[in-house]
Amino acid sequence: MNLATYARRNLFRRSGRTILTMIATMLAVFIFCVLHTFIVAWNSGANDAAVDRIATRHKVSITMQLPKHYIDDLRQVPGIKASTWANWFGAKDPRERVPFFAGFAVDHNTWFDVQDDMKVAPDQLAAWKATPNGVILGDQLAKALEVQVGSRLVITSNIYPGDWEFTVSGIYTAARKTVDRNTLVFRWDFLNNDPRSAYSKEKLGWMVSRITDSAHSTEIARQIDARFDAQDDQTLTMSERAFALSFVGGFASVLGALKWMSLVILLIMGLILANTMAMSVRERTHEYGVLRAIGFPPGHILGFIVGESLLVALLGGLIGVVVVWLVINHAIGPAMAENMAGVFQNFFTPGWVLATALGAAAVVGLIAGGVPAYFASRLKTTDALRRVD
Amino acid sequence: MSEPASIVTLSGIHKTFHRGKEAIHVLENLDLDVPSGSFEALMGPSGSGKSTLLNIIAGLDRPTSGTVRVAGEELTKLSDGQLAKWRSQTIGFVFQSFNLIPVLTAAQNVELPLLLTSLSSSQRKKHVETALRVVGLEDRMDHYPRQLSGGQEQRVAIARAIVNDPKIIVADEPTGDLDRKSADDVLALMDRLNKELHKTIFMVTHDPAAAERASVQRKLDKGALQ
Repeated sequence: MNLATYARRNLFRRSGRTILTMIATMLAVFIFCVLHTFIVAWNSGANDAAVDRIATRHKVSITMQLPKHYIDDLRQVPGIKASTWANWFGAKDPRERVPFFAGFAVDHNTWFDVQDDMKVAPDQLAAWKATPNGVILGDQLAKALEVQVGSRLVITSNIYPGDWEFTVSGIYTAARKTVDRNTLVFRWDFLNNDPRSAYSKEKLGWMVSRITDSAHSTEIARQIDARFDAQDDQTLTMSERAFALSFVGGFASVLGALKWMSLVILLIMGLILANTMAMSVRERTHEYGVLRAIGFPPGHILGFIVGESLLVALLGGLIGVVVVWLVINHAIGPAMAENMAGVFQNFFTPGWVLATALGAAAVVGLIAGGVPAYFASRLKTTDALRRVD
Repeated sequence: MSEPASIVTLSGIHKTFHRGKEAIHVLENLDLDVPSGSFEALMGPSGSGKSTLLNIIAGLDRPTSGTVRVAGEELTKLSDGQLAKWRSQTIGFVFQSFNLIPVLTAAQNVELPLLLTSLSSSQRKKHVETALRVVGLEDRMDHYPRQLSGGQEQRVAIARAIVNDPKIIVADEPTGDLDRKSADDVLALMDRLNKELHKTIFMVTHDPAAAERASVQRKLDKGALQ
């Protein structure tokens, strides 16, 4: 026997209570991990953005458009290798088979040169360039919308009225894991020539440029914005990552709320654990008095209680982490990648979130056990011996 | 240095508790000498200060004033940490309600005080076996307290009290929770510890039959020895 034997035996002294506390800890860790998985999934596109691409938008807001001739001016800036542009279409599936997907009107001559991590077969690309109402979709979106090359596809928009009828010219695949496979692109001139788009006639939403040297992206961005400084519509150029984050930025308050919620979950876990430990300590106060009487110093009493609390938190946390790993990374994550990649293309709990959750459980265990342990260790031996519960 | 003839010497002990603004004088100007190797019983009505006096002798409590010298050590000069260490080496405790740890076996309960020493696991095991043999429970080593009778539990508690070979055993109502037969067995065992192992025993009791086993009976009333 050693000192740990006593702490270990105490763990399942009230097995029902300990198991319920462990389940609460496990659930808290599970919810903490799920919330952070949402946050990571939202940000994953931005985090994995190409470093040699920069994006230029209206200085005031992404929702404001720029004159189309800006693309020609931008291409004059030294360091720009290729540029393209796009307009947000606000695409919707009228049959609601897909809850959300991105739909862009893009320049058919340059889009896939700049966005070269969206891979499309040369013959399909050629067909698209020859078809004014042609559309190219990601492979997952095509599957969800039940279309193939040559299919007719009708979509609606939350910006432009009526039905928009397209012919599927091609289906692209992703060259990198984090490229959205649920985007739809069609020709910008098709949108521009339609009378329903008078609002954005000869306008573009944003420009994307591939640069010769990513090390000079800041300088190139500065030069682009300087070029339009004297114009009515000024620009803001940023890395693709920052641009992606500006899209996510609309959800910033939601993500912030999720972060706060995860902290509240930890707090609740701490209170449950603290309550369990307080009950245990109250029940065993007399016993701690006996230990103190036979010579155990206060530090040992503190260690017994904190050790027990830490063990409950770590065991519960460990089970929670394993459950997250199995449920999210091996069941929900792959299912979401298959069916809801337009929303969450990379819904997996990274190792650092699992480690943080386990670490947080340990810290909460220490604090939850530390408070009653401190008071128990400070109690006078004679007072503790008098206490009978 | 030779050991003093008196193993416990209390001089001018006052102990006052405070309940709100009210001061309760539990012990007043108390002097006591306990010779080494004696078996003393302390009797007195409830609230007379018996347990308080026992706690002061055992180093669990401090007097409000006065000096306490036990086994050659002036206890009032020791810090809490030093006092805890001193207790683990000098005092064996026997409580009324046995106070065994329910999640530990008899042997593990007896081994508890030895965890504070530098003895190896095998050395501790030998000490535990010896202590349990002295109390006649070597065949109950792996039993949990709930599997023992009250008398057996108290004998395990006595084994725990003697396992680190203390000079003094303090017992607070050691037979209070036992039937007559078990009480007699426990008292006989304590008598043997005193006579054969020369342990000084200071016992608080309400039971006149238990007090008769002691070589000296003292009576405490209203904070003063009669």
